[in-house]
Formats: sequence, C-alpha cells, structure tokens
Amino acid sequence: MKKKVTPEEVVKYFKDEFKTKIKGAKIVKRKFGSKKKESYYVWMKVDRTVFKDSIEHLIKLQYPHLAVASGNDIGKIIEIIYHFTLNYDQPLEEIILNISVELPKTDPTIDTISDIIPGALITEREKMEMLGITVKGIPDSSRVFLPDDFPEGVYPWRRDKTGPEKYYKNLHEVKK
Amino acid sequence: MSEEAITKTSYHIPVGPIHPALKEPVYFEFELSGEKIIDVNVKLGHVHRGVEWASRKRNPIQVLYLAERICGICSYCHPAAFTLAVENACDIEVPERADYLRVVQAELERICSHILWAGVAAHEIGFDTVLYFTWQIREKALDLTEFLTGNRVTKGIMTIGGIRRDITPDMLPRIKRDMQFFKDNFEKLRHIFLDDKTVKMRSQNAGILTKDDAIKLCAVGPTTRASGVKKDVRTGESYFAYGDLDVKCITPKDLTGTVNGDVYDRIIQRLLEVKQSIELIEQCIDEMPAGDIVSEPKIPKLMNQIKKIEGEGVGRHEAPRGEVIHYVKFDGKSENPYTWKVRAPTYNNILPWIPMLKGEQIADIPIVAASTDPCMSCTNRVAIVKDSKRYELTKEQLHKLSVEKTRRLMK
Amino acid sequence: MRFSMLPSVFVQMFKKPWTNKFPAKYAPSNTTQFLKDVGEGKAEIIPPIPPEKGFRGKIKYDKEKCIGCQLCIKYCPCEAIEFKPKDKKIKIYLSRCCFCSQCNDVCPTNCLTMGEEFLLADADPYSKDLIVE
Ligand code: SF4
Ligand code: SF4
Repeated sequence: MKKKVTPEEVVKYFKDEFKTKIKGAKIVKRKFGSKKKESYYVWMKVDRTVFKDSIEHLIKLQYPHLAVASGNDIGKIIEIIYHFTLNYDQPLEEIILNISVELPKTDPTIDTISDIIPGALITEREKMEMLGITVKGIPDSSRVFLPDDFPEGVYPWRRDKTGPEKYYKNLHEVKK
Repeated sequence: MSEEAITKTSYHIPVGPIHPALKEPVYFEFELSGEKIIDVNVKLGHVHRGVEWASRKRNPIQVLYLAERICGICSYCHPAAFTLAVENACDIEVPERADYLRVVQAELERICSHILWAGVAAHEIGFDTVLYFTWQIREKALDLTEFLTGNRVTKGIMTIGGIRRDITPDMLPRIKRDMQFFKDNFEKLRHIFLDDKTVKMRSQNAGILTKDDAIKLCAVGPTTRASGVKKDVRTGESYFAYGDLDVKCITPKDLTGTVNGDVYDRIIQRLLEVKQSIELIEQCIDEMPAGDIVSEPKIPKLMNQIKKIEGEGVGRHEAPRGEVIHYVKFDGKSENPYTWKVRAPTYNNILPWIPMLKGEQIADIPIVAASTDPCMSCTNRVAIVKDSKRYELTKEQLHKLSVEKTRRLMK
Repeated sequence: MRFSMLPSVFVQMFKKPWTNKFPAKYAPSNTTQFLKDVGEGKAEIIPPIPPEKGFRGKIKYDKEKCIGCQLCIKYCPCEAIEFKPKDKKIKIYLSRCCFCSQCNDVCPTNCLTMGEEFLLADADPYSKDLIVE
C-alpha cells in the first residue's frame, strides 16, 4: 500500500488533472463518539468522457477498494455513483470517495472498470440489469440478480415507463 | 463416485441455488476434471426480493425494520448501516451514550455469528461434537441478546438518532457474568480448533486466497483480513464509539506469525475476533458515559426534519462477515428515501470464491465455501453430469463426501 | 491432539440435557389432538422457558386512553393496524405484526404496551386470538 492521502489532497489531485471536468467536489466531515474523532466523505461528479481516465488516475495514487456502485434515476439522467475506499489500512484515516457519473437516458453507456478493478464485475452487471445502462467492454454481460425469464426492457430501479410499476398488483390486500 | 469413467474430458456440475429461507442462495457451475475443480461460474439472485424498491413506499422508520429482515444473522448490521447513512445525509448528531450502546450490540452480534460459523465449519468437516458445543455457547449469547433487546433474532434496537433501549446498572452483573462464561468457553473452543489434528488436516492449504487477489477482487471482512489485508471499518473509520475504543485490526499474523490465506487462517481470524469482541464489550461497559440515548425521541418531529432534507449519505458498518455499506438519497419532497442501495458483505466475497475453489476437490467445496461464511444454502443440491447421465448429489451426500475425506485423511 | 472433545463428551453423559422439551417429551403424533387434550386437562404440557423482562409479546391495547390520532398506523412497518373510523379506535392484526413495538414508542398517550404472551400460532390468521381491538 502506498502512502496515505488526506481528503483535501484527493480533491486537489483530481482537480489538477481534469480541471473543469470535475464538478461539485465537496468534503463532508462527521464526528462520532465522545472523543469526536472525524471521519471523511468525499463527493465529486466526474464527466462521463473522462470517467475511465479518472479511475486510472486514482489507481496511480492508491489502489482503492471498490465497495459498490449505486444508481439513481433522476428524470432525464441516470446517475451512477461509485463508492471507493482509500487509506483502508491506516487507522482512522479511511476516506470514502464517492465518484458519480451522469449518463443521459438517450445514450446510457459507460466504460467498464472491471479490467482495472476485477472486483467491479458483479456491481457493473447489476447496474446493467437494474438501470438499463450499457457497460462497454464488460467481459460478462449476463444477468446476476434478475431471473432469466424476467421481461426485457423492464428495469426495476427506473422511475419512468420502463420501471416495474405495471408488474405488481394487490400488494396489501387484506380480508376485511 | 464409481471407479470407471475417469476420462480426460471435463465435466460440469451445477451446485445450488436453493434454500429460499436463507439469506443468499447461490448457484455455482463447476467445471471438473475427475475430482479436481478447473473453473467456477457463479450466479446470484435467487431470493432477490426488491427491498430497495420497496423502501420507496416507506418512511425511514419503517425501512429500519425492512432492513432488519434482509438477513437473520446480521439483523443489527443492516439497520445500523442504514441509520448511519440517514444520519450522514441529514446531519443528525447522536448522543455519546448511544454510540457506546451501539457498539455493545454490534459486538454481541459478532460473537453470535462467529460462534455459529465455527459450529457450521466443524459440521462441514464432520466434527459434530464441536457443533453442539458451539451451539451451547451461542444459546447463552442469544439469551443475553434477548435480555438486552427484548428479542433473540430480530432485535429492533436501532433507531434514527440513537438506540431504543438503555443498559441500566442493574443489568451489568448479568452482562459481566456472561462475558466471563464466553471467555472460559472461548479458551476451550480455541484449543479445539487450533490444536486439533483433524481440523488442521482439512483446512491447512485448502482454499487459498492470496493477498493480491483479495485486494483486486475487493474482498471484505474476515475473508480479506485472513489474507493479510488490513481492512476493517472499525479501525479505519471513526463511527459509533470505535474511534474512542482500543481496537486493533487483527490478522492471523498476530497468532501464527505468517499469513497463508487458507481456510485455517480464516478459522484463526474469526476466533481471534470473538476474543476481540468480548474485550470490546467489556471496554464499552466500563467507559460508557452517562446521558441520553436518542437525540430526538419524538418520531413525528424527526420525520418532519428529514422531509425537508435534500441530500445523500453513505453509512458503513463492519458486520460479522465484512463491510456493509448503504447509500441513501432524499429528494426533499417526501420523507421516504428516493434511493436506497444495500450492499451486503457476501456480495463482495462471491468473486474471491473463484480463485479459492480452483484446483480443489469436490469434497472441499463445503468447507471452502463455508470459510467465507456465506449462507450455506448453496451446497444444497449438486448434480453431476457424467457419461451424459445425470446424477444428483444432495447436500447430505456432499456432506458425506466431505466426512469421508476426513476419515481417509485420518487413517 | 486427536480427541480433544472426548472429555467434554464423557462429562456430558452424566449431565441433564440443555434442551427444554417443550411442549411434550416426545413429539405428539397428532398435535391438534394433543392441544385439545391439554385444553380438557387430559394431557400435560411441559412449560416453556419464561421470556426475559422486556420481551416483546402480544400487544395490549388500552382502548379508553386511545385518542384516535393514527400515528401508530403511520409508523407501523407491517401495515398491521387498521383504523375504525366509526368509533375512532384501532384494530391490530397480530398475524401481520412483527412485534417491533414501534407503535408503543410513537403513541402519544401510551395506550399500547407489549405483553409477555408468545404462543400465538394459529391456523386461521383472522382468529379472535390474533386480533387486538
Ligand atoms: S409492534 Fe410493530 S408491527 Fe406490530 S403493530 Fe406495532 S408497529 Fe406494527
Ligand atoms: S397512536 Fe395511540 S392514541 Fe394514536 S391511534 Fe394509535 S393507539 Fe390510539
């Protein structure tokens, strides 16, 4: 493991390299316990065009632990958020780095990172089936969680007409 | 398996899916040459219940109980991670005493889970007396859980902004007595696992996960620590009261001086963690500050506060099996979460199975798969396709194969 | 060491079993009949281990105190509570309830409390025993 970094350094490291392609970078600090030691959360938005480069850039700094990627459907855009952990072998210095990427619904494609972080495979496949995005260059694009006979073109986490709304009925029917 | 038909071609065996009652049924497809595993393919999702979607129709208090039902054994970890995520998103401060009480619950759960695991692991290699012995200890742990929370499994102890039940001074003697019981029996258990020849024979050099693989495949929890990666949310991040307490990230190196990343190391790792948990509970009890246990006892008021918030948060907690991470987003219009994403530890420990199982024998599947502590449902049904005839191996037969291997080795 | 469990196993032979044989020493061949017999006083039930103090069992409802504010309905995670608009009181279906006691916490008049009773298995989810009103 390489040397430890501070949250400010992480933000600066990305801003220096990608300039305006990084938006809304913020550092959130929270205090816990009676000694009020801090924990750090870094949030930033990365432009889709430099997403893969930014992950490669991150690996040059430190090999991160990818916890998971989560996704939001916000209107015309699908937002994918990658939750990384840095400094995980340094006591009380762990940084949670949340990198979000916005994909327009008209062309929801993103580059795979499973070639540089093999552990990303399952979470990328999950985003494909749940949010209907396309991950370019993924070695295995089959479904993980959804059954094989689940209808095509229905994405459980979407909020528009491709969502699962029409597939449920009588959720809370009770005999009166 | 019969004598004939050991040809050069490889066979495929499907293992799983199975027991919908357990938390994460998994389907494996093994490619075998004789008894050796050459390749593994994993398929998940047989009990995907769409809880993340269901949360959109519920307010955070209701989601707590939904989260609790994601997993029976980690029924504290999921609500804990969810609360942390909500608290981070809404910037809610938690009273100090609640932070300590939360640690007590988390560590008690770890004791329960690891001891249960130790029993299951012993059962997988055919050492059933140990299974009953661990059950005896676990029974005490469950009784203590009931004493502290009001229920044995679904504890319902977490709430947003604090914890629901306090530990009063008259409860302390009982907790101390039980901790002493755990300590005494832990020594016995450690002796059985670490000095017994049978256990060593089956677990040393089986299912190796190298440090490099563990980092690359993003493994979590005892699985990755047994491979020498010092990743533990409790030491890495300051949350609950872990920042105040004396927690050390332990690896098998502390006991044996080397790290092999095999099944034996994962056994050592979990046993050391049980001891650590007992010490942490004792520390908490001694150092606990006085004060409130919730920041806002009036739930409707709390909900109104959450309703106005537009933001997102991440909550992480070290569950017995590894890091649980929840992501929550609120849109400022309703108190129901806009998005809720749950990541249970086994999610990340699936891929490491592939390097672990490659090169092992069929009889090793149960113990290797069990060594990462998933739900054991996956080994319920194995079908062997041999000479284009289909044989089905049930969990019992697979277990028998495993027991027979132990007998063979003992001769 | 090869037989590390042997001493414990040996000692165990002279000890009382840990298990409480509830409800009978041997599983009755016909449970319904057995329960009927118990009801008539013909058979005896081995008592269960009493729950700890603070156990969350069957809900007790103090109808007089209830003001019909419906807060419990809003926060019940299982949608187990129904509102009776006519007399402004509530009705709890225990077959849906998960015994989380959240309704006890939100109730402004403290008219709900958790009891000790836990033997609630029934073939009919709408039986009288499983509805609190
Ligand atoms: S105990 Fe929980 S599930 Fe049962 S009625 Fe009350 S709030 Fe609903
Ligand atoms: S919260 Fe209490 S007072 Fe209000 S309706 Fe429910 S039981 Fe009645």
